[in-house]
Amino acid sequence: MTTEVIRNTSTDGRSAGRITRRVLFYLVLSIAAFAMVVPFLWMVLTSLKSPAEVNSFSWLPTELHWENYGDAMSAAPFLDYFRNSFILAVGQTALTLTFATAAGYALAKLPIRGKKYVMWYVIALLMVPFQVVIVPLFLVVKQIPLFGGNDIFGQGGSGWLDSWWGLIIPLSMGPLFIFLSRQFFTTLPDELAEAARIDGVSEYGIFVRIMLPLVKPALVTIGVFQIEASWNSFIWPLIATRSPDLRPLQLGLAIFSQDELNVQWNYLMAGATLATVPMIVLFILAQRYFVEGLASSGLKG
Amino acid sequence: MTLSTEVQSPAPKADKPPLSTKKRPANGMIRAQRRAAWILMGPALLNISLFLGLPLILAFALSFTDYGFFAAPKFIGIDNYLELFADSDFHVSVVNTIVYTLMVVPLAMALALIVALALNMPIRARSTFRVMFYIPVVTATVSVATVWLWILNPNVGLANEILGLFGMPPSRWLDSPDTSLPSLAMIGIWQGLGAKMVIYLAALQGVNPVLVEAARLDGANKWQIFWNVTWPSLGPAHFFVFVTSIIGSFQVFDLVYVTTQGGPANSTRVLVYDVYQNAFSGLHLGYASAESVFMFILIAVFIAAGLRLQRSKSDDN
Repeated sequence: MTTEVIRNTSTDGRSAGRITRRVLFYLVLSIAAFAMVVPFLWMVLTSLKSPAEVNSFSWLPTELHWENYGDAMSAAPFLDYFRNSFILAVGQTALTLTFATAAGYALAKLPIRGKKYVMWYVIALLMVPFQVVIVPLFLVVKQIPLFGGNDIFGQGGSGWLDSWWGLIIPLSMGPLFIFLSRQFFTTLPDELAEAARIDGVSEYGIFVRIMLPLVKPALVTIGVFQIEASWNSFIWPLIATRSPDLRPLQLGLAIFSQDELNVQWNYLMAGATLATVPMIVLFILAQRYFVEGLASSGLKG
Repeated sequence: MTLSTEVQSPAPKADKPPLSTKKRPANGMIRAQRRAAWILMGPALLNISLFLGLPLILAFALSFTDYGFFAAPKFIGIDNYLELFADSDFHVSVVNTIVYTLMVVPLAMALALIVALALNMPIRARSTFRVMFYIPVVTATVSVATVWLWILNPNVGLANEILGLFGMPPSRWLDSPDTSLPSLAMIGIWQGLGAKMVIYLAALQGVNPVLVEAARLDGANKWQIFWNVTWPSLGPAHFFVFVTSIIGSFQVFDLVYVTTQGGPANSTRVLVYDVYQNAFSGLHLGYASAESVFMFILIAVFIAAGLRLQRSKSDDN
């Protein structure tokens, strides 16, 4: 117990009761926190067990079967799926960090006729549940003109379906990220831009060289959110792709797990480990920006 | 439109008194700024219009058509909606989705607030605890669904083994129509807890420490401080968490797709799963659009009801 904690808890006296309460508090909190991560521990443990240990219950693997990972990758092309997820995440994040922040900056700091209405439009779209639009989105993407065998009117071919274009572009630079970056830029003082303008810096120079570097925690927050959204996306890749070469990790994993008759749990858990660990590591590296980033976005009370 | 139009945002406390910028001369510099603004906004606005705004309008338009993908859409008025009323799969999906939402949202919000209050105190290993509660949020629903499918395996799963340690009988979990939907709700609560917690944490950091200190000096106890100082300032956070949770629960799909495929006996058939089946297996795109529109309205109704409830509650105080 630190002295600070003790000072923060009510009045003096009854210190024994207070210590019991503290111990109980930490115990309950620790059990709850442990319960939150048990599924991941179980996933990793299972991925290292032998088939016999998986088929009849066992707590711990007697030996660590690292070869499960190699075997899983020959059972399904997990490395290809992994690469596809990587391309998807990098592509969408690059687009979001470039264009959603630019839009957010313009909405926060530049004079726009009818700005109020543009902002309402972004917020309205922010509220649209994605699953409501999947059917028509599929049709819009199918009718992108001059792609996938389509004519100039978007007829006759498959458009952006089953292509990297269709996989990456429609779900990037979402309204959430436009809105978030607008909230971040709003907090910056106007004087910086004014001073740069007087020094003859162009509007784009002000955005790229002066304003962007000032919102680095915000960029990390937006970047990490977008990477995670891309890496974890499922329903859009499920609908928009057909060929296995474009399949991202989550889709590959879902298809692998559907083979119910001969699902090999240790291989499946190896695949799940491959699909989750990169995001856990990324989050732990970036987590100190998170609450800070959210707090300054105006979501606080 | 004046330059001083202060944009209203749903985020709280953002509305400063509008600063008048009218006095600035509307010269070439302003024109350059206006041009730059549209060029900077253009790509993102175009993208969300094409891939979110347009599909939203199309969803409404298609819901009045019979569209089977290969032939052109045929206008049929409100027939799709009439057909929905008689569709038993649709009825089951609506009920399951609402039950799932009612199981997940209140419980997850309460738990998230409790955890946030605990982790807002100056305790040891605070950031480690925060990370542990947040990890399920950053991992893909598909991946964690496969893990839960394995944990809840009725024969060799971890969950039944743990029940056994406490002398409780094993459960069929996802394999029985009686327990499948609650099992899914449990996974949903587990996965969404951290996201709600972070919003509450951010809100708690915005609680004015001066007010807390003043209340303490006035002799208020911890409960009084919580109800009179902390709780009222959490309003905007409740709003944000509530809306995102409702939208999230109504859209549950990945979890169902991986674990139960709507079974057993349709006990976990939810709206988005039904839409997916009708659109991409049955190729009834017009019908599926009508279902989507219904879902959109249902979400709006739930959010409006929740807002009313919250507003009447805060009026009581």
